[in-house]
Amino acid sequence: MHRITKITGYVAIILVVLSFNFFLPRLMPGDPLSFLTGAPGMDMPIVLDEETRAKLLTYYGLDKPLSQQFYDYMLGILHGDLGWSIYHNAPVSDILIGALKWTLLLVGTSTALYMVLGILLGAISAWNRGGKSDVGLLVSLLSIGSFPPFFLGMLFIILFSVKLNLFPAFGAQTPFMGYSSLLEEASDILYHLFLPATTLVISHIGGVYLLMRNSMLNVIGEDYILTARAKGMAEWYIMRKHAMKNALLPITTMIALRTGFMIGGTILVETVFAYPGVGRLLFDAVTYRDYPLLQGAFLIITLVIIAANFVADMVYVQLDPRLRHD
Amino acid sequence: MTEIKDLNRFWNAYKESRLGLIGLAILLFFVTLAVFAPYIAPYDPHEMFKPMEHPGSDHLLGTNDIGQDILSELIYGARVSLFIAFFVSVVSGIIGTAFGLLSGYFEMFGFFLMRIVDAFLAIPRLPLIIVIAAFMRPSIWNLIFIFIILGWPITTRIIRSEVLSLRTRNYVEAARMVGAPDTYILMKHILPNVFPLLVVRLIIEASHVIIAESSLSFLGLGDPTAKSWGMILHYAFVYPTIFISDLWMWWMLPAGLCITFTILSLTFIGYALEELVNPRLRGMTRI
Amino acid sequence: MTTLLEITSLKTWFPTRDGIVKAVNAVDLKIEEKEKLGLIGETGSGKSILGMSIIRLFHSSAKINIEGKIVYKGKDLLRLSEEEIRKIRGKEIAMILQNPATSLNPVLKVGDQIAEAIQLHQRLAKRAASEKAVEMLEAVKIPAPDKMANKYPHEFSGGMKERAMIAMALACDPSLIIADEPTKGLDVTIKMQVVKLLREVTKQRSMLFITHDLGVAAEVCDNIAVMYAGELVEYAKTEDIFKNPLHPYTQGFLNSLPERGLKPIRGMSPSLINLPDGCRFHPRCDYATGICKTRHPEMAEIGNGHFVRCLLYDRS
Repeated sequence: MHRITKITGYVAIILVVLSFNFFLPRLMPGDPLSFLTGAPGMDMPIVLDEETRAKLLTYYGLDKPLSQQFYDYMLGILHGDLGWSIYHNAPVSDILIGALKWTLLLVGTSTALYMVLGILLGAISAWNRGGKSDVGLLVSLLSIGSFPPFFLGMLFIILFSVKLNLFPAFGAQTPFMGYSSLLEEASDILYHLFLPATTLVISHIGGVYLLMRNSMLNVIGEDYILTARAKGMAEWYIMRKHAMKNALLPITTMIALRTGFMIGGTILVETVFAYPGVGRLLFDAVTYRDYPLLQGAFLIITLVIIAANFVADMVYVQLDPRLRHD
Repeated sequence: MTEIKDLNRFWNAYKESRLGLIGLAILLFFVTLAVFAPYIAPYDPHEMFKPMEHPGSDHLLGTNDIGQDILSELIYGARVSLFIAFFVSVVSGIIGTAFGLLSGYFEMFGFFLMRIVDAFLAIPRLPLIIVIAAFMRPSIWNLIFIFIILGWPITTRIIRSEVLSLRTRNYVEAARMVGAPDTYILMKHILPNVFPLLVVRLIIEASHVIIAESSLSFLGLGDPTAKSWGMILHYAFVYPTIFISDLWMWWMLPAGLCITFTILSLTFIGYALEELVNPRLRGMTRI
Repeated sequence: MTTLLEITSLKTWFPTRDGIVKAVNAVDLKIEEKEKLGLIGETGSGKSILGMSIIRLFHSSAKINIEGKIVYKGKDLLRLSEEEIRKIRGKEIAMILQNPATSLNPVLKVGDQIAEAIQLHQRLAKRAASEKAVEMLEAVKIPAPDKMANKYPHEFSGGMKERAMIAMALACDPSLIIADEPTKGLDVTIKMQVVKLLREVTKQRSMLFITHDLGVAAEVCDNIAVMYAGELVEYAKTEDIFKNPLHPYTQGFLNSLPERGLKPIRGMSPSLINLPDGCRFHPRCDYATGICKTRHPEMAEIGNGHFVRCLLYDRS
């Protein structure tokens, strides 16, 4: 029952985002095409060649009634048709698929890292509440978490790329490099991943840390912690085995919500490091007012977040034996 | 009288937190900059001098690519950033609280409103803001409008769950029993009790708005006529030699630090307030 | 008989925002081998804290002040390092905490919660410890113990949870069991079953039985110590407490039992932060005289191992 409501919720949200994407350009003054070519705040007007113009016209289908447009739009989405990118002059879906792997790599590795670290540090902090390590962790994590990700990324470029020349400042791979082995390719990719991933980890670790610390402080007062201590179990063991799992339960969904913030940060970090992911595409789309691409990127990002929420729900059910059986 | 006494007691408890005091001091510094900007700033931030001047006696932090004094830009930038943050958090706080009170108190309304809130919370905030901002004319008021639209749902959810637990308290039940009107109960018994929680929420929302505003400006979606710190960073970032020369030291670093310290001050204040609202966070031992 | 545990002038205080809680004040108490000692008192009299103080069951960062001496088999438990006291907890002295509903970890299997102590103290492999855990569940008469060992606490009934707590305490064959309100909240039939079980499993060991249920204490205990506002006010053999209660508080406590007329003691027990001067019971005592307000009575033997802390019996 619980699962059915959840899934209905996800479907509803996807429908909301799709309708939002459909109506936003059509609600703008004038028709989408004239808006596209003469958007406000544009430095240079976009000149469309006849072929692109025709493609856009068929995509928006403006000569048909609105309900027909909506139906065609939804049908197109189902077939993976997200429209035509003006700037890249290619189907939006092709461009997005190429970029998605980089974003998933970046988001995936940083999410894994900042969650594990945040949860661990939060647990340690709460376990030593009021002590030196707690205060130290609290102040330092709140402080580094205050750096906006784009600023942190720029500082890293200056420090680690320009001054120390340790890591590359941009891109996901060394351009025009032929790899002789898979290992060489993988290490080049990791080498490029290091700075953007570190930036994301640092700017997002504080939120998870605080959530876990607060939740742990609640758990520490529970009777079963006392029971474990009465059995003679060591403090570290009690924290790991008895407290952490219970502390994670109430915050899994909140941690999942943070993936939303995380994606916001990814757009900025990919922009700063010129990392060729969906976030960077979104920035390009904004810069060149490439609206079909902008909306396609937005849709993909939303889908990624819904997937993350779905995973969090599954994890939650796995963690809590009281839910597993019904 | 009781209000003043309460305020006094609140301040005495707040004073205990060193983080809270540090945060307050930093915030006051930036508020002072914002309020007295015309008296503090050496120049009008729009006035143009020789471009790309290095720091010197005329321009303590040099000038930018079109010759504006960077220090003056920073001081006026405090106005833009803090005004947006303050305005948005207060207005979305009021809307969010009103909806939160009503939805916590009236079940049907609450049920439907929560589905809307869920949808708002599931959609990634910054990407959504970027998409809307890309379609709208970039102006301060448009930004404020977007932030308010996206800011109220979290407040509503927090206030609602607090109202739900307050509703079952004896004094509220008692007030209902003797036939007190709903509006009276909401204003007299429930609102004062959700207030501390609301203050924490306002502070956190303000820091989110500052991050969102500077991010949008950094991406080039800010209001070009009202230069915020994020906008300064945007122009610095797109300047070709920013990373490979020393320009970053006076053009990029100060603006970034201003944003960072403002967020830091709000984070510290928020944490100190949360400790007051949630005594368990103080590390008291329950026996 | 030999003394297993001897507590001398034990004081447990801890600071809170409202002031210092003086939970245990200068308590002297002895438990012989195989003795079942009842510790009786109202909620908030400090009896649970006394039980927890014996094995120092407090988080290391908690600001708790324990003074005095607790000598167990020749060792002062208060002088042991954290590492050394951990080897006593669960192995030599086990504690059954009150409220089994919240004292079992909701996300771990009951069998594993029993096995982990066995693994730790008896250095058994995981599988052997699990088998031993099933045996323990069988020993406390849980039906289908091998199946129940793989279940989670929420799948246990209230009485079964209590049995599981007892199995956990017995797991490493301790010499002393501290049972804190093991019958609280159970209905009468299950309560009597648990009492019977406790008597059975403690035949060969000592037990400190903390309760506010005098009826149950009478069933289980050899001797009874009565605690009021952080200190002991009477100590005697169980039958003496019932036949010849000396302290006005003990008398009042007995009179509040249903079979003796359900007469509650007037007033409320004092907060452990602001204790009354003189005799701590004087504000509620029907026999109090002027001197009770100022003089704090000492524990004195009236005869034949019957001790009382009351100026009515003071001959000096």
